[in-house]
Amino acid sequence: MPPEDVLPSSFRDPAGFVFRRGGVLYRRLRNSVKPHYDTLMASGLYAELVAAGLLVPHEEVPATGDECGDVYKVIRPEEIPFVSYPYEWSFSELQDAALATLEIEKRALRSGMSLVDAGAYNIQFRKGRPVLIDTLSLRQTVAGEPWTAYGQYCRHFLAPLALMSLKDVRLGQLLRVHLDGIPLDLASSLLPFRSRRRLSLLLHIHLHARSQKRFEGRKVRVARGKVGRQALLGLVDSLESATKKLRWRASGTEWADYYEDTNYTPEAFEGKRRAVEEFVRDVRPRTVWDLGGNIGTFSRIAAAAGAYTVSFDIDPACVEMNYLQARRDREENVLPLLLDLTNPSPGAGWDNRERMTLFERGPADAVLALALLHHLAIGNNVPLDKAARFFARAGHSLLIEFVPKSDSQVKRLLVTREDIFGGYTQEEFERTFGEIFTIRRRVPLDGTGRTLYFMERKRGEA
Amino acid sequence: MIQTRHWRLFATGLILGCGFLAKAAAGYIDPGTGSYVFQIAIAFLVGLAFSVKVFWKKISAFVRKTFSGKKGDGADAT
Repeated sequence: MPPEDVLPSSFRDPAGFVFRRGGVLYRRLRNSVKPHYDTLMASGLYAELVAAGLLVPHEEVPATGDECGDVYKVIRPEEIPFVSYPYEWSFSELQDAALATLEIEKRALRSGMSLVDAGAYNIQFRKGRPVLIDTLSLRQTVAGEPWTAYGQYCRHFLAPLALMSLKDVRLGQLLRVHLDGIPLDLASSLLPFRSRRRLSLLLHIHLHARSQKRFEGRKVRVARGKVGRQALLGLVDSLESATKKLRWRASGTEWADYYEDTNYTPEAFEGKRRAVEEFVRDVRPRTVWDLGGNIGTFSRIAAAAGAYTVSFDIDPACVEMNYLQARRDREENVLPLLLDLTNPSPGAGWDNRERMTLFERGPADAVLALALLHHLAIGNNVPLDKAARFFARAGHSLLIEFVPKSDSQVKRLLVTREDIFGGYTQEEFERTFGEIFTIRRRVPLDGTGRTLYFMERKRGEA
Repeated sequence: MIQTRHWRLFATGLILGCGFLAKAAAGYIDPGTGSYVFQIAIAFLVGLAFSVKVFWKKISAFVRKTFSGKKGDGADAT
């Protein structure tokens, strides 16, 4: 098989790797995984997990000539519309992913199986809910063996959630640096003292960290066959209760209250809604990226038109509120994610390719950039031509709002800084963006001085 | 204050427990040793807590069922 077909994120698993052929995603299972895979399918666990929306469904397909050699089966898993990473999730997204992992482990234990891998990267959001994508991580249990993924669960889920809940929600970004989860000694040192008063955190983070430190690099002998099924269920139950008790309330940030502090009249806001509706009706996108989507007000217009909409925002409170709404209303095609557009998710992991950059996961059919450009151009000194190139890489069609310097929100940005943005004019904006995009339509928003532009990327300007 | 002292005692016991278990064991070790040993050390505790929880749930479900059954009988009788 040509090595370029194999996904860079799947090389670690000796049981089988994921590859893409003809645009379709497949997974090759090696013979070593046969007993585990057969148990998964025959025990009813696969059907149970798929029915509960906890495991991505797949179908078995005949192996082609390219898969000769060590191949037991080839499966075609249902593809996830947008791959996201734990450092892009809000508090509740990470918490729901954690609880889904534990629910899977609980059900697996009852079927004589267990997750050998409880990493957050094995969970993705499908139809608005967290789902396990690594079917091969379910293995038969060996009587008396501890849960091998216990430490990983604590690093990938419990430690970041505890830090986000009890210290600062921004500490979730440590996951971007520590791809194999936050080291427990680091989490233990960062958590406030009061976290030690919770038995579950005392056990699973603080004492667990001390135990890791104590046995670090030491050549010791370990007892085998000491953890019964009841103890394993108890461990999962204890982790579940620890995870559920962690809370974070999203409110009070500058952006979460944004729509209570804008200078839109109700008419202008309605005009903006109508323009977004017309844009998605014209473009008919299958995928939309709403950049700076706040709490997802306009993302939902695109989603209602049938587009799978990823709603990005820099503010953890906005992303959290957006996700809670999506979860409450059982929305299946809105995915709220945390993203700093001036420092978007990079390629990470081995060879910088295990975790994709933002652009490797695109482009989208359409991009919404509403009330965003002035924050990039004036708030972050991004020249207009660089902003135009960025949007051209992000998607084919663009709905962008130009906010003039006379606008109170722009004036606010300039209160404490020198106006060095002479080129930030509507004429210069149209000229610069017009080099890369064809401007299809202009929609002035009455009473605001703002204008919405319908644009389409010119051929060869990706 | 008493609570803090209680936790310290408990923690010391667990860490010592990890040490004893390690000495009594037979096998080889990987970098996840600390997690492995710690899990064995807390297995009894979390297993016991889970059993008590399940038992308590069964008792309360039985009591609820008994009471609601009696209420139903009463309603039929009147």
